[in-house]
Parts: sequence; structure tokens; C-alpha cells
Amino acid sequence: MATVSHTQTYRRKSWGAVFFILPLLILVVIGFDIPIVTIFNYSISSADGYSLDNFYELVTTPVFAKVALNTLRITVMTTVIVAIAGYILAYWISTLPKTGRMIALALVVLPFWISVLVRTYAWIVVLGNAGIVNKTLQSLGLTAAPISFLYNDLGVTIGMANIQLPLLVLPLYAALIRVDQRHMQAAASLGASKRVIFWRVFFPQTLKAYLAGIMLVTIVSIGFYITPAILGGGRVPMMSNVIETYINTVPRWELASAIAVILLFVTLGLFAIYRRLENRTGDEL
Amino acid sequence: MTPNYAVRTVAIVTLGFLILPVIIVIPMSFSSASSMSFPPPGLSLRWYSSFFGSSVWVSATITSAVLALISSTLGLLLGSMASYGLCRRRIMQRGIIESNFMAPMILPTIITAVALYIAFAKIGLLGTLIGLVMAHTILLVPYVMVVMNVAFRSFDLRQEQVSWTMGASWYTTMRRVVLPQLGPNLFAAWVFAFVHSFDEVVVTSFIAGTYNTVPKQMFSELILEISPTITAVATLLIAFTVASLAGATLIMKRSVQTV
Repeated sequence: MATVSHTQTYRRKSWGAVFFILPLLILVVIGFDIPIVTIFNYSISSADGYSLDNFYELVTTPVFAKVALNTLRITVMTTVIVAIAGYILAYWISTLPKTGRMIALALVVLPFWISVLVRTYAWIVVLGNAGIVNKTLQSLGLTAAPISFLYNDLGVTIGMANIQLPLLVLPLYAALIRVDQRHMQAAASLGASKRVIFWRVFFPQTLKAYLAGIMLVTIVSIGFYITPAILGGGRVPMMSNVIETYINTVPRWELASAIAVILLFVTLGLFAIYRRLENRTGDEL
Repeated sequence: MTPNYAVRTVAIVTLGFLILPVIIVIPMSFSSASSMSFPPPGLSLRWYSSFFGSSVWVSATITSAVLALISSTLGLLLGSMASYGLCRRRIMQRGIIESNFMAPMILPTIITAVALYIAFAKIGLLGTLIGLVMAHTILLVPYVMVVMNVAFRSFDLRQEQVSWTMGASWYTTMRRVVLPQLGPNLFAAWVFAFVHSFDEVVVTSFIAGTYNTVPKQMFSELILEISPTITAVATLLIAFTVASLAGATLIMKRSVQTV
């Protein structure tokens, strides 16, 4: 009986779905979907109708190749650093006693919520020529002249890794604590060494969540705008920074749109992989 | 399994690296020097008085607050309605509609920024408050929906059914049964949305025109020349974020205890 009345309620009220969803749908269609279609349209338009001229122009511009390489290099470096340091941090937190876990997690969540601008800005203070790192190195006599960390690959990578770390650590930690401890105890009772237990029993069970986290970091890094703009000082332009140049400095909307469309497809492709990994993480439990 | 020294050291260094920016900026803001040296040679509140005495920063703060207040309230209303509709009603193409609402969170903000810049330029919304509110609302709605989807899915549908069975209208059910219990979730969603709008910089820098917000002003100063006043702004932003999130967490916790 309960199920019957349940379905009836559902059916009777289903007209209401429109009422609940329509306002947001209208806003998102006007304020998001149509603008996305507009840049798509721009990217494939040229003087004589639709063509791929804009993409051709981009690909044949040496500067664009350089920027694409920059983007790839910074994304890979950031992702590798975050992947290694993030796994170790998440693993360590999962071994802490309860209070320690809470404190450590709070310290990971806190920066996650603080403005990207604030977190990026701090690195100018830390890594600048008169910053703490250089002052420490000089007072220890390790270097005579200050090392330039800013306005190059290194600075941008450090800043981006700092911002992306929580994106990997938080979901990965959730996956690590779900691993059944009895698996490791069983392996130990069968005489497996610590190293074998970790690499053959523990790690494989966390691999899918790990890869999903790595994908997420890659997705966010590839379209990052703020940190390369500030810590790169225009010397390490990534794809997103070139979009800005084609809007504000050299107004070429069709080229800005074409880069945005390339970035859109790359992101969607990576996101599709991420979704598959994320869905499979649930299956193995 | 207890981690060895190497693992522990790397983990602690990583954690230190993660919070370093936050712990550096705060003492810097109380520095008496105008150079960016650390540790500060002496303490003063000069950068805070420079912030509150600057008409540029004060008006940017007011703009940010008004924009965040309107956008987060609108986003909370539209986002939680849509979340309720998606959780409780049968809808065709539900997956597509939900992905569409979440897309602005997943796509790089620069794509949204350039798309809105070009589209708004064509229809005359560039540099208008309406354009800014639309953009901010669209960007923060996914955060509202993430919080409210969890809330509606864990809320027992039978409570609503009982209320209907006893003759309550949908409106009464909402007002007397559903909303009082979801109050804390709504508050948390609103705080997340507000913080998100207040911090938004990429899309705002593209479409704000002559409107100036705190992050936009901060971004342009960081690109051009850096004044220590920014450390005070940054510290105020940190304090504001921590206070809002602590408030939201506290209210959420209290609600869990009473249930």
C-alpha cells in the first residue's frame, strides 16, 4: 500500500518539477549555455562563413606552440609533485590517532577555503629576492646571490602545487581509511614483509581513488589562470593567460574563443576519464 | 601500519608547505615596515589603517559584500529549489540537467569568463550589476546544490508523505516540516555560496567593467605593483573565511546533535 500511494504522490506532483527547476534552468541557459555556444560559434567563424581557420592560425603560430608546451610542462610538474607529496600526506594522516587526524585534516581543509589570491600572494613574500627562503639560504652561506624563484616555472609550479594539494589529499584520505585493516593483518600473519604488504595489499586497493584524484588535479591545473598570471609575471604564460591577452591586449575574440574551445574539449575529455575512475572506486568495495 | 621516519618527515613538510602561505601573511600584515621583509622588524596597525582609510578599498569591500549578498541569496533560493526538484520529482533527462547546473564548477573559470565577456558584450550586460549577479549566481549554484543534494537525499521522504496524508498542503509541509529541519544545511550552503562569491576573481575581472571588488582590486595590484596594504586585506579575508566556516560548522554540528 505504501508503495502505491508513494507512486501516486509522485505522479500527482510531478508537474511541480518544472516549477522547481525552471528558474535555475532559464538562468543557466541564458547566462552560461548560450555564452558557451557563442564562443564555440566564434571559434569556427571566419570572414567567409564557417571554417577551421582560427584553429589553423593558432596551430601555426610559434607562440601558441610555446604556450601549449608551457601549459603541459607546468601541469605535469604540478601533478607529479602533488601526486607524490599528497599520497604520503594522506597516508600519514590516516595512521594518526583520532585527535591528530582531526587537527591535520583541519589544516588541509583551511587553506582549501582561503582565497586563491591570498595563497598565491604569500609566495611572493616567501620566495621573493628578499623573501624568507633566499634570506635563509644567504645567511647559511649556501648562495651568494639570491636565487630567483619567482617569474619562472619553479615559482608557478610551487604556487599551483600548494593550491591543488587539498584537491588530492581530501578524497584520497577518505579512500585510505576505507581499506579494511584485516587485509594487512592477514598478509602479515602469512609472513609478508612491510614493503610487500604496502605495495601488494594496501596500495592496489587505493589506486583507483588515487588516479581519480590525480585526474582532478590535472583538470584544474590545465586551465589555471590566477597563479601563472601572478607568480609567472607574464614570463610563463599558460593557455588561460593567452586567452586574456586575446581579449584585453590584442582584441582577437575569435582566437580567444578558439583557445577556450580547445581547453573546453581537453577538460571534458579528462573529466570523462575522471568520472569512469570515480565510478569504479565504488565498485571494488 | 606505522609509517617510517621518511614518510613522517615528508608528510609533515608537506603539511607545513600547505599552511605556510596562511601563517606568513598574518604576521606580515602587522609589520611596521613598508618593505616585504620577514619577520617584520616591528609591529603596527598602519596597513589596516591604510586599508580602512582608502576609498578604493572601502568601496571595493562594499561592492563585494553587496554582490555576494545578492548572488548567494539568489543562488541559495534557485539552487535549493532545483536540488529539491531533482531529488524528489521524476524528470526527463535528469542527468543532463544536473550536469548542466554543475558545469560551471567543473570547467576552468577562464572559459566561463571569456564566454560571458563576449556574450555580455553583445547584449550590453558588460559592466552591469545584473551581469555580475548572473555570473556569480551561476558560479556558486553548484556549491549550494552539492550541500542541498546531500541534505534532501538524507531527509526521510516519509516525513513529507505523512504530512500530506494528514492533509497539509505542500506549502505547509515545506514551512513546518522540511525547512525547519534543513535550516542548518541551508545556512551552511548560504555561507559557502557567500564566501565563494566574495572570493571570485577570474570572471569578475573580465566582466565587471568599472565595478571594483576586493579580489579584482587585489589581483590588479598583484600584477602591477604590490603594496603591503594587501597583507592587511589578505589577513582580513582569512579571518572572514575562518569565522564564516567555523559558524557554519558549529551550526551543522549542533543540528546533528539535536536529531
